[in-house]
Amino acid sequence: MGLPTSHLTTPSPQLPPAREAEASRRTAARRLNESSALLALSVLTDTSIEHDRGMFFNRAMVLPIIASALTLGTSLHGAHDPTPSAHRLRHAVAAAAAATGLIGGGFHAYNVTKREGGLSWHNLFYGAPLGAPFALILAGTMAVAAEHVRDARDGRISLFGQPAGPTLAALTAAGLAGTIAEAALLHFRGAFQDRFMYLPVTIPPIAAGLIAKAALERTPRWPRLTRLWLRLTAALGFAGAGFHVYGVSRNMGGWRNWSQNLLAGPPIPAPHSFTALALAGLAVLELLGTSRHD
Amino acid sequence: MTEQNRFSGYSTLAKRDTPSWNAQTRAVVDKRLNDPPPRCFFTEDEWALLVAICARIIPQPTQRDRNVPIASFIDQKMAENNSDGFQHAGLPGMQQEWRRGLSAIDTEARLRFGAAFVDLPAGRQDEVLHMVQQADVRAPAWADLPAQQFFKGRLLIDIVTMYYAHPQAWDEIGFGGPASPRGYVRMGFDRYDPWEAVEHA
Repeated sequence: MGLPTSHLTTPSPQLPPAREAEASRRTAARRLNESSALLALSVLTDTSIEHDRGMFFNRAMVLPIIASALTLGTSLHGAHDPTPSAHRLRHAVAAAAAATGLIGGGFHAYNVTKREGGLSWHNLFYGAPLGAPFALILAGTMAVAAEHVRDARDGRISLFGQPAGPTLAALTAAGLAGTIAEAALLHFRGAFQDRFMYLPVTIPPIAAGLIAKAALERTPRWPRLTRLWLRLTAALGFAGAGFHVYGVSRNMGGWRNWSQNLLAGPPIPAPHSFTALALAGLAVLELLGTSRHD
Repeated sequence: MTEQNRFSGYSTLAKRDTPSWNAQTRAVVDKRLNDPPPRCFFTEDEWALLVAICARIIPQPTQRDRNVPIASFIDQKMAENNSDGFQHAGLPGMQQEWRRGLSAIDTEARLRFGAAFVDLPAGRQDEVLHMVQQADVRAPAWADLPAQQFFKGRLLIDIVTMYYAHPQAWDEIGFGGPASPRGYVRMGFDRYDPWEAVEHA
């Protein structure tokens, strides 16, 4: 596509077997599907709860539920599909999900700005969350990327006309940054009343930095540290969901009062976005590694 | 008076054994419902007068097994001096307001219609109350109690508040009941939680 892809095509002097590169690419595609599936699951559960809170006041509020459910299905299919080539339906669903997320972002921005006071802290806290639709954009994009990675038969993996590895690395870093911003905003709203609420604003930023660094370097110089930190971030997502379950129980009436406290307490599906993005980061490392061998 | 049923099918008390209420809420509501406080503050004459006034301000549906004992709860509020936390500058304080106000209303009834308030027919009682509301009064007792302010700021507030604070009256206004533990999540205009009452137009 006339863009710098030399790092993808320059043969390595060691010439490892082509099969190794192929396996690596397949792993990357699978990881991207897993990441997409987890993001889609997070969007599906979070949106079902939050849009029910919003009483589906706008009928379009049902769209992200459909889009994320379909993406969850196709990404799980992709994650278990040994076929080395891309799948057109999966690709189409993923692209539609990303588009839905993009439109949703517009709706959310409109919801926040139309409120009295416009773009104020209060409206950012209590209006439609600006960061949330990005999870759907990312779920779709990761699944699109998975198909592109599968489709790279000649060894050139490109995404939106750019080399896939660094592009996905940048996307993952941006996704992490957005998720961190969302956690920071809402944990600030929650006054960081539990010390552990600082974790998502301390651990993932380092992961985002390492992935961004890898994107710039093309061949990551600290692959082991980056991998370790991404795994830590992935684990943090699970731990965060656990903390949020505990947070719901701490509201008055506890889990017996679930119909209120699921909404009043911290969102249980939200922290999984970190796990999903960390998985995407691991896929990216795989891709950046692949580029060395091709 | 016919009971208007704007919230048909809704019963606040039906939430008793749902997640909406906890043991403390059940205890408080049960006490208010079944255990009206005994008369401690008002004299027997004042009491009879207060009961008669309450019956004119909020006539209660006749088809109910029992009425909301509004006077009992006003008596309790006075006995405990459980004030609203503020006081109008021109008024002498809630206990004095009720004592003087009841006495003044009775004097007004005797002056205007030649009988005690409690002995007047309902229509005449309404007329007396209307005079107080309009400050169209002649009894000297009103000299240190502004009639209009007493009517609006004490009499009406206490009677209406005590009536609607009673569980028996909640369904009429679709009141959600005590928000303990379950309160409200959807709080914008035109938004309501599934456990709230829905008004039928």
